[in-house]
Amino acid sequence: MIIPDVKQKWANPINTVAIGAAKEEGGTRASTINVGGVTTLPFLHFEGEIPHRPVVAMEILDIVPEDWHPLLSKYFSDVWDNPGKWAKKCVEEFGADLICLRLVGCDPDGKNQGPEEAATAVKSVLEKTGVPLIIWGCGNDDKDNEVLPKCSEVSAGERCLLGSITENNYKTLVALCKADGHKLIAESPVDINIAKQVNILATDLGLDAEDIVIYPTSGALGYGIEYVYSIMERGRLAGLSGDKMWAMPILCDIGKEVWKAKEAIVSQNEVPQWGEQEERGPLWEATTAYVYLLAGADILIMRHPKAVKEVKKYINKLIV
Amino acid sequence: MEKKKVRITFQPSGKTVKVDKDTTLLEAGAQAGVYISSICGGDGICGKCRLIIKEGNIKANPTTLLSREEIQKGYVLACQTTAEGDLEVEVPAESRAEREKILVDKDAQRFRALYPQAREKVFFKYEPLVQKLYLELPKPTLQDNLADHLRLYREIRRKRKIPIMQSGLKVLRILPKMLQESKGKMTATIGMRGETTEVIQIEEGDTTEESYGLAVDVGTCTVVAHLVNLNNSETIDAEATYNSQRVYGEEVTRRIIYAELKGPDKLREAIVNDINNLISTLISRNKIKLNDVMALVCAGNTTMVHLLLGLDPSQIRREPYIPACTSPPPIRAAEVGIKINPRGLLYTLPSISGWVGGDITAGILATGINEAKSLTMLIDIGTNGEIVLGSKEWMVCCAASAGPAFEGSGVKHGMRAAAGAIEKVKIFSDGKVKYSTIGKTKPKGICGSGLIDVMAELFKAGFINRSAKLNPEASSQIREKNGEVEFILVPASETQISEAIVVTRADIENLIRAKAAIFAGADILVKSMGLEIKEIEQLYLAGGFGNYLNKEKALVLGLIPDIAPDKVQFVGNTSVMGAKMALLSREALERSYEIARKITYYDLITNPGYMDEFISAKFIPHTDLTKFPSLAKKSKEEIRK
Repeated sequence: MIIPDVKQKWANPINTVAIGAAKEEGGTRASTINVGGVTTLPFLHFEGEIPHRPVVAMEILDIVPEDWHPLLSKYFSDVWDNPGKWAKKCVEEFGADLICLRLVGCDPDGKNQGPEEAATAVKSVLEKTGVPLIIWGCGNDDKDNEVLPKCSEVSAGERCLLGSITENNYKTLVALCKADGHKLIAESPVDINIAKQVNILATDLGLDAEDIVIYPTSGALGYGIEYVYSIMERGRLAGLSGDKMWAMPILCDIGKEVWKAKEAIVSQNEVPQWGEQEERGPLWEATTAYVYLLAGADILIMRHPKAVKEVKKYINKLIV
Repeated sequence: MEKKKVRITFQPSGKTVKVDKDTTLLEAGAQAGVYISSICGGDGICGKCRLIIKEGNIKANPTTLLSREEIQKGYVLACQTTAEGDLEVEVPAESRAEREKILVDKDAQRFRALYPQAREKVFFKYEPLVQKLYLELPKPTLQDNLADHLRLYREIRRKRKIPIMQSGLKVLRILPKMLQESKGKMTATIGMRGETTEVIQIEEGDTTEESYGLAVDVGTCTVVAHLVNLNNSETIDAEATYNSQRVYGEEVTRRIIYAELKGPDKLREAIVNDINNLISTLISRNKIKLNDVMALVCAGNTTMVHLLLGLDPSQIRREPYIPACTSPPPIRAAEVGIKINPRGLLYTLPSISGWVGGDITAGILATGINEAKSLTMLIDIGTNGEIVLGSKEWMVCCAASAGPAFEGSGVKHGMRAAAGAIEKVKIFSDGKVKYSTIGKTKPKGICGSGLIDVMAELFKAGFINRSAKLNPEASSQIREKNGEVEFILVPASETQISEAIVVTRADIENLIRAKAAIFAGADILVKSMGLEIKEIEQLYLAGGFGNYLNKEKALVLGLIPDIAPDKVQFVGNTSVMGAKMALLSREALERSYEIARKITYYDLITNPGYMDEFISAKFIPHTDLTKFPSLAKKSKEEIRK
């Protein structure tokens, strides 16, 4: 029997986005990262090019976390009062490809820290590590627009990934990325069209499509993951078929979601049949990550060191 | 215990009503015959039924729809407020859902002007549904001894080829005496009732000079009536009014719910009253006798026709959306309470489905899509946007629930195309505004065509971005008031309503939703037939926009598909046009049944792709610029500049 050739030729490659700038590029990063560039669906090596492997960013905060699970704190509590040290530990001990610094401390409903404190955190991470950096605001539009300009300024030239813009708040961040040479995370609420619309708004302001990474919103395994999966898959198919506004690498924010899910945080005492929590928690995070890898994720933001290790192993197996 | 009664006086009309103490002011207004705007029908969510309390105590539910200043000035929502004692309230201009005529004579003429244009395109045999025939019956003899009624039929058949004829008892009773007294010289009025022709009435002598009919568009928002001379097909006059069912809910579904809860009678009475008022205005203005109006043809959406005839509409809003009747037979107009000749006939144009009504059948008839040689599309923008696609070979249609934004509802200063409505707008990059109003009066609000202009101009001036968000920093004319960002179109000093006419962020959102719903419907319809937009050879744009619609601006917004402007034609109110064609031609009426049978209804409500298309169309002009190649080219040129 002759096996039919099912290879497809796609019209359009996904953009390659370079994150992090080395010395010769005007930054100080020891390592830099390229994501995207694929000309086929995830891991179909027989069909097209997969020039860059998916990467794992580990999440840290600018303040001591108040609600992180003991399963996480046991790895980080010795360093998490200092973002630089925390980042360094993630890179050196746990093998993070990038660091994602989330500026939770700026939240006006929380500690309400100012631009100076945020910028200090950014600087200390940049000083202590050599990997590229993701800087993510606190989610309050007005506050982010006040804090991120300073963060962008102190990291100018480092080609950080700044997040995130939405349909309702994009002008400040787009301007910062253009001025300071950063890349941008474009966020949308699990909606294939709004994802495009945000990208159109950003490119209308003159940002290159090659400077954008799509964040289609993520959910944990068991919490609507199939919905996100289908949006990512459809978006990637559109991008490969020639839709320039979906031809961006995709970022998934996993740790934050998984460590809210009861399957990860409920102890064995409460639900004995679920088994050892030490294993279950990281497994839940890793499994969520596997699913998103298959849907086309290029950057995964994660928390638990064991989960990170497993996912990186998995990626190594899939990338020949 | 007997309920306490309170007396409520409405200004400026001075009308007074006594009601139970727990009656809302909205209901009290309806009882007093004071019509107050309401979209939600009394749920307290539309904020249209604003009143000002002048004197007396009230009890009101809290609302977020009034600003602090307004509350201090005494504003309340009529549907959320009851009187604690006797009360005097003022109905401000913006809340008045006026009953008086809304289209001045000049507008009527403009409506009329559309008709000959359509007649040139579609030819039907001129044969009014109701006709008067002058007869001279020979005296009976021993040889010619036919009974009186057969003698009458024979004489009619000498003039017209009519296989089946009938007449009512009333006619038979007066026939012998009339024949003797008039010596056989008489006028018979015949009316088509399907295959049968009825002798509706007989009169002594020759009265054929006086023969009139009416074509009526029964819209969800407005009712338009044209008075037609059946002898020469001339439109004598036209008149329009608001559909006073509006107090029971602005949207079709709201009215169905009302009919379910309270029975359909109130709604039927409201629309019948409106039609009767239009008729009496038309006949008295033109010095015509009521008895000489023998027929009326109504075109309306399926629910409106149900409510007019007193049919149960409740299943139209429930899956699988089944109407009671799509092609009601001709009936005696008096049966539903319409006052023309007591034996005159009421025809309704057939509906296609529960959500595509006789107004669309009329639109197809008027634009002749069913005869078109090449691919043609009709978009009728009303409370529901209906879209028809096809040619003489096949036709499909769908209904997209656009909401009444383009009819001026759900928009803070929206209004219908009537005197005082802003219909044309130009906005300059410094925020200056040039506008013109219908009737050249001071502005009172903005009508559909004005709203299309406003949106396109705000976009061109850079005051709203492609996701239609007002940018407060773009112009000094954009202000934030009570937490709402708004663009000042006309300052308070230039308006009739003692406040500035503005377009708010929420208005823009409503309009964008409406345009997205319509475009998504059109796009899905084209796609579902395996066709492409560029294959459309002719696009007709219909709706109660009044008299003007800027095609280029509708395209800039992405309201209509990207088609060369010379292929787009604004055709106005095709519903009343089609009704008139049927009134004047039996062949046209028969054709309307054929159209309704032939067309395929495409259901958007259950279409899984609709929501996606809708969201991607909620962008100016569209998320997918390949759907708007002419605009994509332009925007690149603009960027280069």
